[in-house]
Amino acid sequence: MAGIVVKARFPRRRMVRTVVANLFRYLFGGAVRNWIRNIGGTAPALGSMTLLLLLTGLVGLCGFAIHNLDQLEAGQAAVLHVYISDAATSAEVDSLWDRLAKDGRVASVDYTTKAQALLRAQNMPGLPQLADASDSNPFPASLDVHVKSVNDVAAIDAMVRYDLAVDPVYPTSYDKGAYQRIQTVLLGIAVAGFAFLGLLGFVAVTVTINSIRSAIHARRDEVAIMQLVGAPRWMVRGPFIVEGAITGALAGAAAGLVTFGLSFAGITAASNSFTQFAPGVTVAVAAVAAALVFATGLGLGSGASMIGVRRHMES
Amino acid sequence: MGSIVEFSGVTRAYGARLALDDVCLALEPGELTFLVGPSGAGKSTLLKLINRELRPTKGEVWVDGMAVHNLKASRVAALRRRVGVVFQNYKLLPRLTTLENVALALQVGDLRVSDEEARDRSLDALEAVGLGDRGDAFPDQLSGGQQQRVAVARAVVAQPPLLIADEPTGNLDMDTAWEMMDLFADIAAWGTSVLIATHNVEIVTRLQRRVLTLVQGRLVRDQPAGRTGRMAWLASS
Repeated sequence: MAGIVVKARFPRRRMVRTVVANLFRYLFGGAVRNWIRNIGGTAPALGSMTLLLLLTGLVGLCGFAIHNLDQLEAGQAAVLHVYISDAATSAEVDSLWDRLAKDGRVASVDYTTKAQALLRAQNMPGLPQLADASDSNPFPASLDVHVKSVNDVAAIDAMVRYDLAVDPVYPTSYDKGAYQRIQTVLLGIAVAGFAFLGLLGFVAVTVTINSIRSAIHARRDEVAIMQLVGAPRWMVRGPFIVEGAITGALAGAAAGLVTFGLSFAGITAASNSFTQFAPGVTVAVAAVAAALVFATGLGLGSGASMIGVRRHMES
Repeated sequence: MGSIVEFSGVTRAYGARLALDDVCLALEPGELTFLVGPSGAGKSTLLKLINRELRPTKGEVWVDGMAVHNLKASRVAALRRRVGVVFQNYKLLPRLTTLENVALALQVGDLRVSDEEARDRSLDALEAVGLGDRGDAFPDQLSGGQQQRVAVARAVVAQPPLLIADEPTGNLDMDTAWEMMDLFADIAAWGTSVLIATHNVEIVTRLQRRVLTLVQGRLVRDQPAGRTGRMAWLASS
């Protein structure tokens, strides 16, 4: 007789499915249910966290722009314009050029003619009027020296300042201490930014811990019963941590969206000004910032909940 | 066969006050034992030591082969799955149905228990306590006696080797209290050790089971089953 082969379900697979289903139910299902149930108690923490994360995102983007600005300034400070005297001969200029090009501290040397200097000035903000004010070209020719390290610019300046080919009145573009002053200001801004972020982080963690503490207090009977019927620690504590993660994720998502929205609006509404004031902040960077804000919210919510649960729940 | 519970020179102090003082006892499998004594004698403390809600200040507590006196926090859940607990105030989760309350004890203890299996076993337990038809009811829709029956079903559904009950008849009328005692006797008859802390003298004297008497933290009498002790009056004071 031809038999019918009945394939039974693989028991291990079925067991795994059961374990996963139960795990999901007790860890995530319960957490979501409780989060919705306690939304009144969670709302202040959610609001505060959203605000804090939004500020974090915006401060982070500002920090990124300041960092780029610093790099830009460093690049510009490493270029020394050596202004050529109108009376200098070609031989004198060539001699100076050779000397600079052979110097180990110099990366490269370019020559800018008077005509190129005028053209450049006409494209710089504020200078076109000056360029047009005179019939003659007031801008000198120059050797543009790209110094490898910004720290060597002063030495190069000292080396060329009294050369025969150099204009004795305005010898170079070197402004002693200008770059250091900018760096000091940027460092101050960075320190203030980090301090502000630290404060925001502290407030966010405190708010979340308090929210978790009140959730534990509100459900202390339930927690006690779970413990007494033999629920393992992770099953009792896990839902609270997931609840914190939900709060953090929602706050992070909202703050991330607003961060992206504000940046996008700024980029599209005033592209040129935005590039000048916040160099490097593009739509892609704003999207990355939004993702980081979301991840920070998720980490902050679950981390703070973990601390709260450890501190306020007996084993 | 070894004892299911063993106390060896157990002392528990709250500051300077001794709640239990050098208590030694052993409970055998399938034995129904009453724990009596006046208020503050240390009955609840003794039960909490079994369930590792408290640690002894001195001495050793063994439950089903587990050294509870130096049990790590991570192993407490494993101990509690071996000890069913019934409280005077039932301690049921109000937002869960009767069936869900019982199934909870099964599934939190073992994630491999499927919903179908949990439902079947919980229904069996509810039927055993006479509430097979009230599985969909919420605790606040049940009487005190019925809620206590659900608590018993929850305590035994995972078939633990030990059941402890702290004043389980404290909130019940006499008829219901007797029904509960019949239930506990049935549970013991099926091999589960049952330890009941109670003030109910009538039940203790009439059931003629083993009686442990605590006075001011000391185990002053261990009266075997079948004898009505002269110290039974202590239970009512």
